[in-house]
Amino acid sequence: MGKPASRVAVARPPAEVTIPDPVVETVGLSKRYGGFAALTDLDLAVAPGQIYGFLGPNGAGKTTAIRILLGFARATSGRARLQGHDCWRDGVAARRDLGYLVAPDALYPDMTGTAQLDYAAKLSRRPPVLRDRFLDALELPRSVLGRRLGTYSKGMRQKLALVAAFQHDPALLILDEPTDGLDPLIQRAFEELLGELRNRGRTVFMSSHDLGEVERVCERVAVVRGGRRIAEGTVAELTRLRRRTAEVVFAEGVPEGLDRIPHAAVLERDGSRVRLGIEGELNPLLRFLADHPVADLVLATPKLEDVFMAFYDRDSPDPIDVTTPADAPGPANSGAAGSGRHVGASDRTRATGR
Amino acid sequence: MTTAILVRRLLGRGIAGSLMLLLAVALFELVFPPVADAFGGEAGLERLVDQLPPLAQTLIQAQSGLLGITSLAGYLSTGYTHPLYLTLASATLVGFAARSLAGEMERGTIQLALARPVSRWRVYGARVIGVAAFALALSVAGPLGMTVGMLIARPDGELHYDHLPQLGLTTLALFWAIGGVTLFGSAAASTTGRVVAWAIAGLVASYFVDFFAAIWSALEPFEPLSIFGYYDPASALVRGTVPVENVVVLGVTGAVGALAGLAVFVRRDLPT
Repeated sequence: MGKPASRVAVARPPAEVTIPDPVVETVGLSKRYGGFAALTDLDLAVAPGQIYGFLGPNGAGKTTAIRILLGFARATSGRARLQGHDCWRDGVAARRDLGYLVAPDALYPDMTGTAQLDYAAKLSRRPPVLRDRFLDALELPRSVLGRRLGTYSKGMRQKLALVAAFQHDPALLILDEPTDGLDPLIQRAFEELLGELRNRGRTVFMSSHDLGEVERVCERVAVVRGGRRIAEGTVAELTRLRRRTAEVVFAEGVPEGLDRIPHAAVLERDGSRVRLGIEGELNPLLRFLADHPVADLVLATPKLEDVFMAFYDRDSPDPIDVTTPADAPGPANSGAAGSGRHVGASDRTRATGR
Repeated sequence: MTTAILVRRLLGRGIAGSLMLLLAVALFELVFPPVADAFGGEAGLERLVDQLPPLAQTLIQAQSGLLGITSLAGYLSTGYTHPLYLTLASATLVGFAARSLAGEMERGTIQLALARPVSRWRVYGARVIGVAAFALALSVAGPLGMTVGMLIARPDGELHYDHLPQLGLTTLALFWAIGGVTLFGSAAASTTGRVVAWAIAGLVASYFVDFFAAIWSALEPFEPLSIFGYYDPASALVRGTVPVENVVVLGVTGAVGALAGLAVFVRRDLPT
């Protein structure tokens, strides 16, 4: 019997994954500004060599968390550590092998591009071994480096800020909206660079509003809402939370027993065409279809964007367990997500019946 | 090494504007010797003061800053208590101190250093060095301009050039006090405009108290609170003396301001 299309969410504590030596770690991290809680009990652990996405809409607490990690702000309570060092009390050690992408507006407008990069490299106390590689990949011509930054476009300043963050080949990178202002081609080039860095064991902690980008490059993702972490897991785990849909066109009419397939629920019927919502295992449906003539099958895979939107459609701010997708009380089962609307129109798997 | 990089950046930013303001201070003081010469040197200045109304003469006698105004050195020392000089020099210094920390926090440029293995102590220390260097440059610019003016105009009268270091020390102490207190404001505030507004308001109030305390008894109790009460370029230039207590008070004022700024800066959140 398929699950009902709509069900009230039941909160569960998120499953904790123990990481022996996290490069980025927050434990019970909270930040209050007067009566406003910008961040509440945030737990994060980023393993070495991982590209970790940190997601949330504006005001969710992403920037506050990043500011605490960088030592720009002091936590009200809890702990934040980078590379094993406390971000506030031992900030210099915490930032010793770090690259941070500053906002393009935070570059000195009176400096030339070269002077800006030299200044950043000297303060990092490391030679700019990756400068040329990044200048080439991001297509920032050497000829513009002699110009003052005040004459640069926003995209050029973003590229220069990226070079300044990466040029000294740090072990850890903290990037806040890294591809903001970059054209799609350069965004792809940047994603390739991130892949190269990951292959060389570098760790990247990045926030982004570009969920497609996060899905392409990040291995794990944390989602924050209202200053709290509401989900954390691999991209695969998160997307599994979302109801998948299957559209089946039966060659000889809709067979009996369709509404008894485990993990599947009939959402729509239109003649011999049926739309099913699937939560968890797909095999029971496939076994059922194998016994009946199928004219067409379209299986839609949910995207991270669908999951993200569903998280924000939830009424409950409680955390979501991402480890047990079959009966997870996540977006698939909660209000909007469980309403049976069709999502994830792209990335379809097409199959024809026997 | 890191401190040197930070100081170089701090002083290098807006260097053209800073040099122009230092030049303006020097040019202002350069004008005084030719003016004294135009009046006929010391004798001419004496005649000029004699012709002033009695009330104005009383006011002059009441102001320690106008000590020996009829002598060439006394007249030249008024260039260092002139409202225009004080406004120009103070505004330059206040602007520099405000920009160096609050301005960088406002723009976010301070993140370039603080996101790297650089402590807040070091970032702040570079600002203290920068403000001290700027105050030193200001205290040198005035006497330098005046010396050039003397060489050009050669007015009648006596000026002891060996009193110039005392004059420099007096002005340095004042500018250090202004710079140190402004640095505190710069560490505590998040915008340049707010720091400049508060610093200028404080300086105007301080100047007002010092100037009118001698003739308005209601202000007399507040006179010790004015930093200008410890600033006496006339004594330095005419007599070659700098009261130790003046240097101590101004020096401590600047140091307390700078240290309070450090205490605030290492604890505060950077503005978003």
